[in-house]
Amino acid sequence: MFLKKYLGADGYKILKLGITRDHPIFAVGLGICSALAVSNTVANAIAMGAGVTFVLVATAVIISSLRSMIPQRARIITYMITIASFVIIVQMFLDAFSPTISEALGPYVALIITNCIIMGRAEAFYVTNGVRLSVIDAVSNGIAYTYTLVAIAVVREILGFGTLLGFQVTPDGWPKWVVMSMAPGAFFLLGVAIWISKTITEGGSEEEEE
Amino acid sequence: MKVIRSLLDKLYEVPGLQRYKPIIGAADAILYGTNETTHAAPHVVDNIDIKRYMSFVILALLPAVAASVYFFGFRVIAIIMVSYMAGGAVEVIFAMVGKHDIHEGFLITGLIFPLVLPPTCPLWVVAIGVVFGTMFGKEMFGGTGRNIFNPALVGRLFITIAFPAIMSANWQQPFDYSLETDATTVATPLGKYKSTAMAGEVNPTVVEFKEDEANKQVLFTSAAAVEKCTLNPESKFDGVKIYCVGNGAYKKAAKHKRIEESNLTRLFSYGDLLVGKEPGSMGETCRIVIILGGIFLMFAKVSNWRIPVSYLGTVFVLALVGHRFLPQDIAPPVFQIFAGGLMFGAMFMATDPITSPFTKAGKYCFGVSCGVLTVLIRSFTGYVEGVMFSIVIMNAFTPLIDQIVLMFKYRPAKT
Repeated sequence: MFLKKYLGADGYKILKLGITRDHPIFAVGLGICSALAVSNTVANAIAMGAGVTFVLVATAVIISSLRSMIPQRARIITYMITIASFVIIVQMFLDAFSPTISEALGPYVALIITNCIIMGRAEAFYVTNGVRLSVIDAVSNGIAYTYTLVAIAVVREILGFGTLLGFQVTPDGWPKWVVMSMAPGAFFLLGVAIWISKTITEGGSEEEEE
Repeated sequence: MKVIRSLLDKLYEVPGLQRYKPIIGAADAILYGTNETTHAAPHVVDNIDIKRYMSFVILALLPAVAASVYFFGFRVIAIIMVSYMAGGAVEVIFAMVGKHDIHEGFLITGLIFPLVLPPTCPLWVVAIGVVFGTMFGKEMFGGTGRNIFNPALVGRLFITIAFPAIMSANWQQPFDYSLETDATTVATPLGKYKSTAMAGEVNPTVVEFKEDEANKQVLFTSAAAVEKCTLNPESKFDGVKIYCVGNGAYKKAAKHKRIEESNLTRLFSYGDLLVGKEPGSMGETCRIVIILGGIFLMFAKVSNWRIPVSYLGTVFVLALVGHRFLPQDIAPPVFQIFAGGLMFGAMFMATDPITSPFTKAGKYCFGVSCGVLTVLIRSFTGYVEGVMFSIVIMNAFTPLIDQIVLMFKYRPAKT
């Protein structure tokens, strides 16, 4: 209720829908490639989620405040330049302050540029809405992306490496599920996650339609 | 019998048990069969239904189960029980949530799946595999009859990739009933062949090693190859380790004066492979029983002869040609047919009516492609066995194969 008062009814609705019904990964199917690639350990997932959230918010501010000046024909290149600038900032920040995570994430930090969530939200939302709503939407999508990544990474890291955030949580002699540290494991878990979220949000309405 | 009948009828009426209707229905169908008929055309006048299919396959598998108990001990029974219980639980849960009937299809999956596992497989791995196979291989696609991939193979592949150390390193020697999983680690015949062929020369016409060479070993795959080599006066056998595939080559080499007996090893005999006295997956080793079961299914018109024949034939021909030119990589034909899971896969898994083509030309195409893939994977990859992979890969192509066959067969008339 505090949130609702603070953000206003429309802002609260956007925040709520962004992490539930309009979830970027579960409902729209955006950003799946990076979700599969960097959800192998929790630390990577948190770093990636934070990076994407930062780029989302920054892009939301820039695009929504410049939206009346962006020419219709050159809008995609405008998004690209904005996103790329912030991605470079994220990459340099990671390089400077946590080289290990930067190394583990490899090319995927730079590939935030092509993350469909950011482009998709810029095209669908920021370019037509004000700064306040855009930032709320960006935060909402960032949270949704991050919690999905972390949830998948928790399962993958425990099963695949026997650790959580680098600390061993399983007994000695734990048989490592090699498949979980590879991409197929992420596919299965993401599939299950989408299945669960669809069942919760839609109440199995798809089956009744048949 | 009437008591059970009336009991079942009463159970249907009990209001508190309405949720569990699928379970009662399954018990009813297993005990009494179903009198349901098709509601719309076409009506086929034959009493072959899904249950007869299933019970015949299980009947054909029972000898293989008995053989695996004989060779690997009563742990096999425990593995089968775990497979049925864990997979059955998934099936029942899906039936209850989805409010559909329990299909008998699981009775086959639950039996085939443990038969393709190594006998030392821990029980919890069995449970994970069968749960995964039933869930992702079958229920995700809508249950029995709608699955794209063979559920038993999906489960087997998942645990093979998830636990490579457990699934491909420990093979129990037949008749070694000790239950410690790490007590015996022997290689399967395919693995033995691969490692021996890699380490030395295969079927050389002349055996010549330099004095200081560290690894002097030779592998012979037929009596003719032994003869050709021993007749060559330039062959020197001093200190050369000699491995033989099959009894023919072994006896021929043993007779030869210049070969010392202490340097001569028989990798395996074809007879042992046929009977099942070689390590391997539980139900796959006793080939003679599998062949009989497969032929029984073909005569009962439950499985079609086209897929096994074209599958085995392709492997044979490819191995025959390939072994002549690349003996280092490609194993001899008869050995390929009787080694690994090929016989079991061809007889019981590739013939699965749900996941294989229904057109005749499609069946040949399916079998030939499976054979090509099997030989390629066995010979040129890091994997020792390629039967599972090839069948699963071809399962994915099954709808396409049928589509193409139908396209050519029923071309629209030109106007």
